[in-house]
Amino acid sequence: MTRLPKRPTHRIDHEREVSFSYRGKRLKGLSGDTVATALFANGVRVFSRSLKYHRPRGLYNLDGYSSHCLMSVDGEPLVRACARPLRQGMMVEPQNVLGSPEWDLLGIFQAFHSVMPAGFYYKRFHKPSWVWPMAQKALRWLAGVGRVDPDMPDAVYENRHLNAEVCVIGGGPAGMAAALTAAEAGVRVVLVERKEHLGGRLDYRVLPLPDGIPAYLHAAKMAEGVLSHGNIRVLLSTSATGIYQSNQVTAVQRGGPCDPFRLCSYEIRAGSVLVASGAIERPLIFQNNDLPGIMQGSCAQQLVNTYGLKPGARAVIGGCHDGLLGVAHDLAEAGVQVVAVAEARRQGFDSDLANRLHERNIPIFPGHVVTLARGSGRLRVVVLQPVEGGRGTSYECDVLVASAGEVPLSQLLEVAGARMIHDPRRAVFLPAELPPRVHGAGRVMGLDHQEAIELQGKEAGLLALQDAGLDVSSELRHTRDALRSLSEPKEAWVGFKIAAGGPWRFVSFDEDVTIEQVEEAMGEGFDHPELLKRYTGAGTGPSQSYLTGQNLALVMAAAGGMEAGSLKPTTVRPPVEPVSLAVLGGRRHHAVKRTPVHKCQKALGAQFRLSGEWLRAGYFGDERALDEILNVRENVGFIDVSTLGKFRVHGPDALNLLQRVYVGDMTKVSEGRLTYSIMCNEEGVVVDDGVITKLGENDYFFTTSTLRAPYTCEWLNFHSKDEPWDAHVVNLTDAFSAINLAGPRSREVLSRLTDDDVSNEAFPFMGFRRMTLCGDMDAMIARIGFVGEICYEIHVPASLGPALHEALEQAGEPMGIKPFGLEAQSVLRLEKGHVIIVVDTDNHTTLHEIGMSKIWASRRTDAETVGAPALRFAEKQIHREKLVGFRMDEPDQTPPDGSVVVAEGAVRGRVCTSRYSPTLKSSIGMALVEPRLASVGGPLEIYRDAGLVKGKIPGRQTMKARVVPMPFYDPKGERLRR
Amino acid sequence: MSFLIPCPHCGPRDIYEFRFGGEVKVRPDETRTSAEEWAEYVYFSKNVCGLQKEWWYHTKGCRCWFTLRRDTRTNLPVEVPEEGLP
Repeated sequence: MTRLPKRPTHRIDHEREVSFSYRGKRLKGLSGDTVATALFANGVRVFSRSLKYHRPRGLYNLDGYSSHCLMSVDGEPLVRACARPLRQGMMVEPQNVLGSPEWDLLGIFQAFHSVMPAGFYYKRFHKPSWVWPMAQKALRWLAGVGRVDPDMPDAVYENRHLNAEVCVIGGGPAGMAAALTAAEAGVRVVLVERKEHLGGRLDYRVLPLPDGIPAYLHAAKMAEGVLSHGNIRVLLSTSATGIYQSNQVTAVQRGGPCDPFRLCSYEIRAGSVLVASGAIERPLIFQNNDLPGIMQGSCAQQLVNTYGLKPGARAVIGGCHDGLLGVAHDLAEAGVQVVAVAEARRQGFDSDLANRLHERNIPIFPGHVVTLARGSGRLRVVVLQPVEGGRGTSYECDVLVASAGEVPLSQLLEVAGARMIHDPRRAVFLPAELPPRVHGAGRVMGLDHQEAIELQGKEAGLLALQDAGLDVSSELRHTRDALRSLSEPKEAWVGFKIAAGGPWRFVSFDEDVTIEQVEEAMGEGFDHPELLKRYTGAGTGPSQSYLTGQNLALVMAAAGGMEAGSLKPTTVRPPVEPVSLAVLGGRRHHAVKRTPVHKCQKALGAQFRLSGEWLRAGYFGDERALDEILNVRENVGFIDVSTLGKFRVHGPDALNLLQRVYVGDMTKVSEGRLTYSIMCNEEGVVVDDGVITKLGENDYFFTTSTLRAPYTCEWLNFHSKDEPWDAHVVNLTDAFSAINLAGPRSREVLSRLTDDDVSNEAFPFMGFRRMTLCGDMDAMIARIGFVGEICYEIHVPASLGPALHEALEQAGEPMGIKPFGLEAQSVLRLEKGHVIIVVDTDNHTTLHEIGMSKIWASRRTDAETVGAPALRFAEKQIHREKLVGFRMDEPDQTPPDGSVVVAEGAVRGRVCTSRYSPTLKSSIGMALVEPRLASVGGPLEIYRDAGLVKGKIPGRQTMKARVVPMPFYDPKGERLRR
Repeated sequence: MSFLIPCPHCGPRDIYEFRFGGEVKVRPDETRTSAEEWAEYVYFSKNVCGLQKEWWYHTKGCRCWFTLRRDTRTNLPVEVPEEGLP
């Protein structure tokens, strides 16, 4: 199909072809097309089959509000083809058909419509009862609306948080006027627009506005002002999906070819929200109002003016609003033969437009409506009848543009909490009361006059400025006066009152709900829209409240002989447009921290793993790190421990603060010495451990575990919040780099870096020294024993970390120094029976379970130590688990961490950590078990999940171990004190 | 669920920036407390339907603890004088 000659309103590039496939056939569209318009250009007229009766459906709406164009695109089902931009190489497939949309075998269901009334699945297939499971299966297969392709290529999903004084939803004239007004005053504005361009409906209107300028030019000028304004951030291709508490607007953006994401979800926190979402055409209800060839005015107009496509050869227009007269004009100008315009109103329509139609000899029939459409699979004939009834006239045509007025797209205002009331003059529900800091403007508020729409946009912008605390009262007064001087919105014709007979008068296209079915359901007692919606499905499905909502309430009122507006439309809930779960799951922006010596470790071949927020070296070379372990035991190794939490507490009450959080006696902490201690929570459960030393008068330094460091300041502050203490906590975690030098030859290495005396007498186990290394490097060195050898934890300012790393490598070279990682450290400390809190312990493990009761200053009550009362109660509880060491009967059998310990057919404990120890040449581990299993020498049975040894031994299996005393290695601790 | 928390130092901020510190409770005197009373203090909350005084920590801001009176039905922080609290 050839396109119309180029026009300034066209959004397609006539020179750039885009190839895509439909049902396996290669087709060509143009850049700027949507999937639906490209298909239309290729002669496709039947786009889908309806859900229940499999009736053929064609292009109906081009703004993404109808289910007529649901298709599968690149494996993604339920794509609204009319709103999805066409891209090179797209693979488009119809869905919910057996065959093709034109020849769908399931179309046979139309013949059975009399046995498929509203809610037929609630009524049939229940007797006898065995029918239901089969029927359910068949119904599910038949009711499919698309299939998810499990091989759909993955894509990037983003989420972003924005803050602004004003968030404007809708980039039409009202929204643009509002955004410009607010932005001019200097506040930050975010403007959200569903389409790929601004302008709203003006974008595809060529007739001049009252000031003589063609509508699209007027819109383009405004759009230019908006896009070039530094205070306005414009989000195109973005659908607002909800407005939540404290003006949180959620929106989803579809990425274009240059965006780094497929979809991006936004959370926009705005001082004020301005909703200028416009209006949508209300479907006209008549027999066969769903035939392909029947479309909305905006759809026909966009085909002609935006995409350069003729909707058909002969058109009939039927409706009751001025917009359709403009459509008739544009169609005629594009060379479509407009054979009749049925205008339900007898008077009051736009005389200028009527004159333009007269000039073109297009017959207008005032007081006439469409009552019947005919055709098999395609529209052929339309029958027009006077509103009062009487003889109808048939017209042959292939396009019928039909709509019964406009309905505000007030969904977002409703979810924000607007109260809707029925306006009898306009036959629509309009937002009456709006929540604070939420304003509406334009057609969504029921306006229909261009000047009024923009003035109200300006008013909304001013109201937002007022919300922001600016004084705009005089401007606001002027704007309101100007707005009042304009004419009231026109009276509307209530289109659904006409209802000649016929079984195919659809109220809801999505769920195939007809007038007859609504009446029947009402007869069965479903007399409220909320009830009827759930019974028949009307108002659910893709077009939700957009095409069905207000019509349903008015149709029901009319059918029940009630006053229009006596029934409220169904409740709108967010998200008001479908949101892909993938974008909600989206990408999390987790910051990953690298230690100061990351690069040095990498150069040595470190394989990194995530530990809390840090990337840490797991191992160098062999995954089990056996060489690294033996090198520390026999020689010397070093590990990057920069991730340890490092804190300074100073001030007159520093000691009080330490006494509050540490279970040990902090008065014994002295200069030059390290004290090991543990922090518990108020349940007595261990949360952290580390060493503490005194730097000077009222000045302390302590370390925490890597995982706990981010919470330490918070913890200390929380537990001293009621005290008038003068103590300050400084987080030095990132300020220092730390390397642990360990092994029998570590002293030799250290001595080569410093002139200070590092002998065992001068610098004993649990000593703390400040030293100068390499001539000018100030270091704090803690002689600890975590891995069970002579061990120096060297802290230097972060910027000197790489220098220290290099110095250790060089100084240790003659001794055969090698780096070691977390895996080796885990085995080394396991051999020593040292617990890693949170790794080996859980939410129930107290100080007593891990056998650390001896470090607890149990008599102290004046310090109100966190967890002390709980520890006192737990101490007497004899049933509490105990930490034991075990050795596997089979040396090369190692249970996975977390395996359960079983006895007498029940779970009696769990393995904390278990590894193969190359030092002991056996598999060892620690477990928390019931006290009666804790005696040394006793057997342990460890359950092994067959799934973990794939394909080897299926079924249940246990491994045998024996409880042994801890530490496994160097029980007297001689090696670390040498 | 999302709402704004008025931080006394940083002003109203998104709830994502904060950590909830629980209801404001009084720690029992540990020299006299019973196991039952302690368990009550540690594990139980009043969880009122209405106005509640609670602790919040501004993790991604000033890193300070502060108390807030919040209406649990609306999630709106409420300014009431200290003596007006339940």
